[in-house]
Amino acid sequence: MSSPALPLIHQALRKSFQRLESSQKVWASVLAECSPLIASVGNLAEQLRALSSLHLPSTPLNVFPDLEDRLRFKLLHAVDTALVRLNEQMCSLQSVRDSFSNQVSAVFQLYEQNRDSLDASTVMERSAMAPSICDMMGWLQDAEHHYRQQFVRRKALLQTLRADELSLLESSPKRWKSLESPSMEENITDALDKVSFFIEE
Amino acid sequence: MSVRLLPVDPSDQGSQRCRMGPALMSALGLSLGSPLLISFPRGSCLCTAWPRTDLAEGFLQTDLKVSSPSLMSHPPTQLQMDHSKITPVTCSILRCVKTTVIVGSVEFKKRTPSRLIHELVKDMLKGLYVQTTFVVNLEDFDTDIKYVVIEDIKSDSVSGGLITSKTGLEIVGILTARYYNSQLQNQNMVPLGGLEEVSASLKEILQLPLLYPGTLTSLCVTCPRGVLLVGPPGVGKTQLIHKVTGEVGASLVVTRGPEVVGSRPGESEEKLRAVFERARFAAEEGPCVLFLDELDSLCPKRTSSSAPENRLVAQLLTLMDGVDQSDRFLVVGATNRPDSLDPALRRPGRFDREVIIGPPTVQQRKAILTVLCAGMPVCPSVDMAELAQQTTGYVGADLSALCREAAMNAIREDNKYLREQTIGMKHFQEALKVVLPSCLRGSLGRTELSPVSWEQIGGLDEVKFKLRQSVEWPMRYPEAFVRMGLHRPRGVLLYGPPGCAKTTLVRAVASSSHCAFLSVSGADLYSPYVGDSEKALAQLFHQARACAPSILFLDEIDSLISSRSSANGTNSAHTRLLSVLLNEMDGIGLKTVERRGAKVLQAEGVEEGHALEKMDHQEVCNKDVMVIAATNRPECLDSALLRPGRLDHIIYIPPPDQQARLCILKVCTESMPLGPDVCLEELVEKTELYSGADLQNLCKEAALLALQEENLEASALKHRYFVQALSRMRPSLTEQQINSYQKTPR
Amino acid sequence: ITQSSAKKKCSALTGSARKIKDNAADWHNLLLRWEKLNDEGFKVAGRIVELRLMRSQRDELLLLDSTSAPAGSSSLQTGGPPELQDECCKLKDIVDKMASMVMKMQHLMASQQGVQDLEEFQFRAGGRRLPLFHSWDTKAFGDSSRALLESFTEELKLKQMIQEELAHTWSSDLCMVYMSCWLHQPFIPPDARLTLEALLLETGHRPL
Repeated sequence: MSSPALPLIHQALRKSFQRLESSQKVWASVLAECSPLIASVGNLAEQLRALSSLHLPSTPLNVFPDLEDRLRFKLLHAVDTALVRLNEQMCSLQSVRDSFSNQVSAVFQLYEQNRDSLDASTVMERSAMAPSICDMMGWLQDAEHHYRQQFVRRKALLQTLRADELSLLESSPKRWKSLESPSMEENITDALDKVSFFIEE
Repeated sequence: MSVRLLPVDPSDQGSQRCRMGPALMSALGLSLGSPLLISFPRGSCLCTAWPRTDLAEGFLQTDLKVSSPSLMSHPPTQLQMDHSKITPVTCSILRCVKTTVIVGSVEFKKRTPSRLIHELVKDMLKGLYVQTTFVVNLEDFDTDIKYVVIEDIKSDSVSGGLITSKTGLEIVGILTARYYNSQLQNQNMVPLGGLEEVSASLKEILQLPLLYPGTLTSLCVTCPRGVLLVGPPGVGKTQLIHKVTGEVGASLVVTRGPEVVGSRPGESEEKLRAVFERARFAAEEGPCVLFLDELDSLCPKRTSSSAPENRLVAQLLTLMDGVDQSDRFLVVGATNRPDSLDPALRRPGRFDREVIIGPPTVQQRKAILTVLCAGMPVCPSVDMAELAQQTTGYVGADLSALCREAAMNAIREDNKYLREQTIGMKHFQEALKVVLPSCLRGSLGRTELSPVSWEQIGGLDEVKFKLRQSVEWPMRYPEAFVRMGLHRPRGVLLYGPPGCAKTTLVRAVASSSHCAFLSVSGADLYSPYVGDSEKALAQLFHQARACAPSILFLDEIDSLISSRSSANGTNSAHTRLLSVLLNEMDGIGLKTVERRGAKVLQAEGVEEGHALEKMDHQEVCNKDVMVIAATNRPECLDSALLRPGRLDHIIYIPPPDQQARLCILKVCTESMPLGPDVCLEELVEKTELYSGADLQNLCKEAALLALQEENLEASALKHRYFVQALSRMRPSLTEQQINSYQKTPR
Repeated sequence: ITQSSAKKKCSALTGSARKIKDNAADWHNLLLRWEKLNDEGFKVAGRIVELRLMRSQRDELLLLDSTSAPAGSSSLQTGGPPELQDECCKLKDIVDKMASMVMKMQHLMASQQGVQDLEEFQFRAGGRRLPLFHSWDTKAFGDSSRALLESFTEELKLKQMIQEELAHTWSSDLCMVYMSCWLHQPFIPPDARLTLEALLLETGHRPL
């Protein structure tokens, strides 16, 4: 038994997965742009740390009395610049997330409107060509949650960074890296593989 | 119909999904992603319906992302649950939601702009179904925002609602997880027995400055900044502060003294500053109590040398002085050795209030026991009042150990008999033997007191009566003494020839008067170091007072303290010991911190509490300790000791006369198989000048002889063995010796 | 001397204006080259530190092997392996190039001063009535040049010191600070670039 809503849902799902595919690419490229920036933040923090732990007047550099202040100023300036650029990248992530999020909620809304004509067996029916509607909706929701989670985590991390908190700056590349969740990325890749026939249909 | 509960799948963590079989979904009328409420015994959670990926029936996996607060702290442990506990709910899209945000650290709260928190929380809450009072767990986002409490969903028609990107978010407050959890915990606090009065007074001290700072400033009164809790270990100082802060609604920052002390120079000071800083942060959210447990280890008396402790003390002083009036926090210190604290700490403006918690009195002990046993299957026959009476000197911790031990006894027994588990009086009695009051632990004079009954001592009826009169009566019926305007005796001196049951008599009187018993002989107190013996003696009195009513028995007091005028009077150690003893007996050594019980003693009580009140009265009245001294050289004693108010009852224990000897022999031979020819009366005739110990020895010798003669197969003691033994023995007393006792030592 | 006016086309500049404009172009080129040299030098310095650290680690191992090895320490002081020597020479080369650039900057400054002196001589204390280009008076060109020259002179001194010290530094913190100094050039203020751009703008190298 097939419902008139079924093609509609399928269409929406297809569109969503296409969107997911493109989102993944953009997302990854934005993150790729972020990593040298965050690495340089960590690097600068290390340089600041070395500067603070040295007592310059007792080094050969003592012939330059205002060197320490000048260098610190330069380093902090560089940190600020990197952070500003990172925040700009966050905006790109946000727009990817938002557009995908809208797409997914459109699918759910469509399902909600037609749920009376879609019985359980239709929703859960799997075929060789396509996973069940239920599975696909689950994956979309997972992916949406993943984007949201990633965005929130990264944004929260960037927010903690401040030029005057060396230890936080120093550990930031490591923490940034730890925010990745390869298993979720894998799940999304898996899901995209599974729907590849369905999308081409 | 029931389903098995399984832990949630890792991939579903934080998704608010509830995975179940498709048939169950249809049966409940649930479609994909529709909200449902699952009720557990401790609370309920709101989730969305999803079929299991393997479409299997009979299992339920639910993510507790949105659940009631009680469920959040205690996740469900059951394995099965009924279908009826799952109910679909209708949820509309919410227009606005009011929340409180719970964050992980104060730093985060302080440095994160509220706009950003708002933004993050909004992102995190998107797509969730929520209900008023429910808590959203946001830990899967791995940020410092831990939970969000849904205060109000501003929806009048339905119980739950969906948060979308269009839902307005209002944050009414931001709290730290520490504060929030403490608030949650306060809702299920265990009551503390017997500390009501101290708790009330402490609460008052805490409440005034913390909750009504405005009132105090308007009265131009400065709030107290510090409170010092003083009391022996185990009376519940720490528990009390936990409870009181909970009741007052203040958050608590706890630090134990030794935790702060570090090895690196300056480390301790740094840690201490960090602790104060933490308290100050916490105080920004609400009233806060900084509790420094075991303060004495943190701040010992400063010495002249520049020890690291001195710096720590100075740091604490600085920090306490730096506590601003506007800081809504109060420092509470606890110690069981207030004397070892640096005196500067106890000056006004620092720890200016002192709350003394003494060892519990009978009534308090009864209250503690009642609280402790409330959760235990205690046999109704167990009389708490009786138990309270038997546990003189036990503090709260001891009583709790006692109950645990009693319960363990019951369990051990149950293993044997497989009966219904109840804890009976006998289990408590058993436990009493194992668990000893902690104030006596490690004490010099602690003795294993195997109870001795009066009947076990032959003869000496007159002496027994005198002893009961001067020891047992004032101990057990002090109110009669008070009524008759009698001063109860402070001490009793027993003197008499050696071996005449002085020590045994004291044991008997101790067991019949139901009180703690400390016993030392001169050798116990001897120390080659100057001042050590005196300290030990003072400590002994201190301990005896802590577990009063108690009997302090100084055996062979002559070896301890001889007369100042005697030949070796130059022995200064003896002289010093004597003065310590005199001081302690006069009550000069009594410290305020040893105060016990309620301050208002004569409070009018209800009728039924009268008996206990009487007991309380009794305990407080003889807060002094009954000293019993024994000697066989009364002439050596300093006369100062024998003046009224000190060892004022002097009882001569004579060598046994004929009748007494008969009684003694009867007692000694009670367990021996006496031959029919044994004539005890004849033995009595022949044992003039024999002491009780001699007689006991005689019986032993006779029995050994019998074994020797009849090759260990002796079945009865014949008279001749006694005679034979007698011929080998010599009385230990002499006429001359006895005569010397005839003149009273006074 | 023909008076030049701001309205005149750039191509037709003569005299002071011509000189100033050429100077501005030279400044621009020098700064570009400096940046290039700085990047090169940073790479070389990085390799020196790396080699240095490798050696010190190896020496520590040696020291652990034979606690009393004065022979090993003597070899330490007498220069490094050829590789390190090589890199040090390269760095020296770069710093020397930088020094010659600063010399050029001094020349530029001198010629700028010359123009200014000339103008003062021509127009007395009041100076020129109309600006040479858009709005700056002649002195402003000299001021910008002087600011640039001062920062680069100071920066060169720092670089020379780093070049001398780097291969003899044990402390990794100090190495880090040297590297950091090299890269971030503390004596060149962040507005140096701005000063130059302003100069270029004024002289018409950049369209308004």
